[in-house]
Amino acid sequence: MEPLIDVNCSPMECTSLSPSAPIWQDILAQAMTGELLAAMNYTSLSEMCEDPAEVADALEHSECERGHAAAFAAEGRKIGVDVTNNVDAKHWKRLRDAFLRCITERDFFGCLIVQEIMLESFAVASYSRVGKVGPGSLGQTFARIAAEEGEHVDHAMAILRAERARDAQRFDDKVYRLHLDVMTTLAQMLAKECKDGHCEVCHASCVKPSLFEVSLSAAELRGASLQQYLKTLDMLGIPGEVTLTWVTQLPV
Amino acid sequence: MGDSVAGVTARARTIGVDLPLSVDFALIGHQESWRAAADVLAVLRGPERTPLPDDEIKDILPWIPPRAVCHVDIESIAGANARGLYIDSFIPPDRLEAAYVHENIARVRKAAACAIKAGAKIVSLGGFSSILIEGNFDQLPERNDTVFTTGNTLTVAFIVQGIQKMCALERLNLSRSTLLIVGATGDVGSGCVRCLAPLVRRVLLSARNVERLRRLEAELQADGVQVEIATDLQRFSAEADVVICAASLASPSLLLGRIAPDAIVCDAGYPKNLSPTAEMLRAKVFFGGLGQITGGMKFTPDFHGVLNRHPFPDVVHGCLLEGMALALEHRFEPFSQGRGFITQERVDEMETIAARHGIYLAPLYNADGPLGDGLDARWNGREDESMVERLSRTVESSF
Repeated sequence: MEPLIDVNCSPMECTSLSPSAPIWQDILAQAMTGELLAAMNYTSLSEMCEDPAEVADALEHSECERGHAAAFAAEGRKIGVDVTNNVDAKHWKRLRDAFLRCITERDFFGCLIVQEIMLESFAVASYSRVGKVGPGSLGQTFARIAAEEGEHVDHAMAILRAERARDAQRFDDKVYRLHLDVMTTLAQMLAKECKDGHCEVCHASCVKPSLFEVSLSAAELRGASLQQYLKTLDMLGIPGEVTLTWVTQLPV
Repeated sequence: MGDSVAGVTARARTIGVDLPLSVDFALIGHQESWRAAADVLAVLRGPERTPLPDDEIKDILPWIPPRAVCHVDIESIAGANARGLYIDSFIPPDRLEAAYVHENIARVRKAAACAIKAGAKIVSLGGFSSILIEGNFDQLPERNDTVFTTGNTLTVAFIVQGIQKMCALERLNLSRSTLLIVGATGDVGSGCVRCLAPLVRRVLLSARNVERLRRLEAELQADGVQVEIATDLQRFSAEADVVICAASLASPSLLLGRIAPDAIVCDAGYPKNLSPTAEMLRAKVFFGGLGQITGGMKFTPDFHGVLNRHPFPDVVHGCLLEGMALALEHRFEPFSQGRGFITQERVDEMETIAARHGIYLAPLYNADGPLGDGLDARWNGREDESMVERLSRTVESSF
């Protein structure tokens, strides 16, 4: 399956005169990469589904995520930077691989858990924070997309709650296995510093130490993301004391 | 990785799924210090993982939504038992000031919602949870069959018992003493005033709100009590020889100033009231409001000595013990609510209930360790942890 947008990573120079433009360039690059990965995931899901309604639903979600990626690219152009993406960057690739394992196992609920509960929690929370501090239309775009991603989570919630009602223990075990895989990677991405080398998405050195210049911080984005994740798991009905243990055991 | 998966899944089953959904009681608390918060997170992370660095803890904790941390099983000496939940509101230890009041009330409300969802029949509000809610019970969520108690009546009972015990140990005649209560118009402070004023020669009342002070003064004067009020501790005309610190302070910052050199001082605050820099070389300071559940208490997972960081086993703050005592008694009623309703009669009633189930005044101690006869009864037959280990931790505790 080929993505519709070129995902080759090519280092771009920042041409904007704004001192914060290189920071926004990297934030947009991470967001765009995440959206493209989500689009690829939904396309893969559509290929696994048999029910025409589910196929259509997955393809609609995929288009929506591509639209988000395009919106982030457009925001970059407005501030004079090229927004690159790299779904093969090490962390993002691991997330994609985790999703593809669910596809291979034809695990529809696993796919939803990875995409809607884990990756979307991260997106909703981090986009919301960026939306609050982003200048002008850039901030508005992040806030709008955060709201739309939240609707995706709501859509999946009803399906997943019904599945959990059938066998809570089995469902929780599945979530925990996927948590170890996906959330461990997300926690490494969200760590305050990238200790294991360049993330392969930022255009130069790691953007995290510079986030304070645009009133953000890696710690805040991580905290908000994990909080959103815990709240989403609460909504699924998984006991809070259990999910607290899961989250506190993540790497930092 | 395989081992940790199995381990955590097994523990998740133990604390999350196999246990009955409904509990008798819930305890809502928060950590008093970053050290205490770090220890809680270390238990949750498990011994096989490196503890989180302090800066990570300060980054992470404020984002944790209120939720259950562990189950608490208690036994009565009368044979009853009860199962409860400890729910942490995860109020960051450095965000107890007034500036965070709305945020913190929201946290307590969410913690209350967790207790209601768990089916708790009675909920005790510990520490600042009680202070935040005592005048705002209508702000708690819809509660079906769950009742809430601040637990302040049993806290008052243990403070008063502690004062009487310390006076006996130090051979201080309480009836000839001058009693100073800091935070006198609060629920705990005013309860202590009502219980102790008839027993002392003179009462000095200190609080921030002068109108409330005047009302309390008038109430006591009507009963013939010799009373003086001041918002400034330096303004009293006499030195106190018995002091109760029950102010709602966000951190230990209280300097008492003029007190008798050999005064007995009860620090009943949560967090503690007295500043570590307070120079009271000859004063006899003890931590008040603490009780001990002698029938036994068990945490699942094991937070023994982490949530209850005292140099004695099964010691818990009176406010939380009140909910446990009422659960053991099967009296699911909001025993302590609002501010200023704690009377000697109510204290007597609560003491009787607690004692029936083996809940008594805890052995006395302070930051330096056990006091007086506390040494005689300190382990209650349990010696699973050395005194050195217990005292190596700070004495702050959410329980």
